[in-house]
Amino acid sequence: MRADSLKAFARILRGNLDLTVSLLILLILAILALLGPLLWPHDPLAISLRETLQPPSLSHPMGTDHIGRDIFARFNKGALISLSVGAAVVITGAVAGGMIGLISGISGGIFDNALMRLMDAILAFPPLILAMAVTVGLGGGLETAAFGIMLTSVPYYARLIRSDVIRIRMLPFVEAAVTAGAGPARIILRHIVPHTVSTLLIQAAALFGYSVLALAALGFVGLGTQVPTPEWGVMITEGLQYALTGQWWIGVFPGLGLLAAVAATSIIADKVRDLVDPRGQYAQL
Amino acid sequence: MIHAICSRLLGSLVAVFGASIIAFLFLRVLPGNPARLVVGPLASEEALQAQMQRMGLHLSLPEQYWRYMSDFILGDWGFSYGAGQPVLVQFGNRLPASIELGFYSFLFAFLFAVILALVATYRRRPVVDATVRAISVFGMGMPPFWLALILLVVFNEALGIFPGPGLRLSRSIEPPPEITGFITFDALVAGDFRAFANAFHYLFLPAVALGMLPFGYLVRLLRANLLDITNEPFILVVRSKGIGPWRTFTRHALPNAFIPTLTASGMIFAQLLGGSVLVEKVFNWPGIGSLVVDSILRKDFAVVQAFIIVSAVIYVLVNAVVDMLYGVIDPRIRN
Repeated sequence: MRADSLKAFARILRGNLDLTVSLLILLILAILALLGPLLWPHDPLAISLRETLQPPSLSHPMGTDHIGRDIFARFNKGALISLSVGAAVVITGAVAGGMIGLISGISGGIFDNALMRLMDAILAFPPLILAMAVTVGLGGGLETAAFGIMLTSVPYYARLIRSDVIRIRMLPFVEAAVTAGAGPARIILRHIVPHTVSTLLIQAAALFGYSVLALAALGFVGLGTQVPTPEWGVMITEGLQYALTGQWWIGVFPGLGLLAAVAATSIIADKVRDLVDPRGQYAQL
Repeated sequence: MIHAICSRLLGSLVAVFGASIIAFLFLRVLPGNPARLVVGPLASEEALQAQMQRMGLHLSLPEQYWRYMSDFILGDWGFSYGAGQPVLVQFGNRLPASIELGFYSFLFAFLFAVILALVATYRRRPVVDATVRAISVFGMGMPPFWLALILLVVFNEALGIFPGPGLRLSRSIEPPPEITGFITFDALVAGDFRAFANAFHYLFLPAVALGMLPFGYLVRLLRANLLDITNEPFILVVRSKGIGPWRTFTRHALPNAFIPTLTASGMIFAQLLGGSVLVEKVFNWPGIGSLVVDSILRKDFAVVQAFIIVSAVIYVLVNAVVDMLYGVIDPRIRN
């Protein structure tokens, strides 16, 4: 990185406390996810029947569950699963949705109409139910859950990118490129696609929260990740039956992890939009 | 005007039609024979064939779709082999509880979103604004089923001021005569305020848990729109004509900022019915959501298919109503 852009980045961070805090939270979660096994060398699956249902203490910062597994170790493993699967869902969804939006916006006419009606039909489904049905239909498990969630997120990208493409297509610089003799492939790849990237990124950041929450929701009803894998949604389900007898810590910590991850990404998405879009209220660049 | 309404209705029908086709095709291409699920893994080949005949699975796909949809419109929504009941009966038993829950959570989300967005933008106090934005971000980041759990732990287990999961009305209270199946509504019609208060008491926690996410979203949307509008020149003109800040706000800024919120509210209200699934599970709410999740897990797809079509119809209807409401708020759209 060049020193100038680093300096600019540092200036933005100083001026936006919420952005800084959100980035820090994501950084901490990422460190726990990636280096958790080194920092806190407990096996997330190790059962210890002499230490069941212990409240948070120094030896178990987040307590233990009904079969004595260390919740902090499980929390870290859960962070790895939620964040990495969330990222995979967002990347594949953005690419697939972006492609559909691009094709639809460029082709126009009946083809465009058919694609958009298809997207409308998917939007008319309750998203979680659709994701669940797809997951069950494809046999269940983490990968199919991720695929089901990705499928429900595609229309959100496609519609946005389509309207962006239609707007950009009419701008003078595209006309100039045509006059200069550029072929359709070159116009699309070099002149239209780059201008949709920021929209796509912001939408992806906004949908990251949805993906992580939906994954946890599928785990919560018993689809997606299977017991004993410590995914945050599965952990909340396990905590549910103990919550009403006083052992609150089993379900509360994974939920806090979800809350932190989703809130931080949504703040970052908002801030980046404000910084990138010069008409926005908080434009500072 | 008539032309606009007709084309709107036609568009709605196309969306419902599309959703029903996708639901139908999707459930047919799934691996596994639905008849096999009914007769069980040990049944003979003849029994399987006979069951397939009975379920119409020997017909071609377009014929099957045609039969399903015409039966659906005539009120035969298929048979749930998992529950041993016609699907329509199950929906009749459970849909009112879900719609009632969805209605109150929407009411909660909408009312508090409008109030907080007003508080955040009125006179632009930075601290108040930052607090409201923080509340909105937290509202959007909370997994609803987790919030449901927390609410139960705090207000039921620790403080004991709200009832626990499993019921819509205390056993000690006689339910009001059933008219719509919405207990609060039926109680009001019967003039039974004790039953109303009790049912409301049971609805409160699940409604908050379910409404928190849409609440966070609506606050954010309305706040951003209000800020945009209050920067417009016409607000300056209104103020310079001597109209006070409160009246400027409520009569001039708010109606102009309201259209996107209304659009989003329509979508949210329609989605709440499908989204209540997880909260219903935590609160053991006898609604449609828990039925659908159980049916998905049991691969009892007659229920799922009917649910998808019903929610598509609700989604489309609500959005059509919202489109008509635009005209009420904005005179420019009336013609």
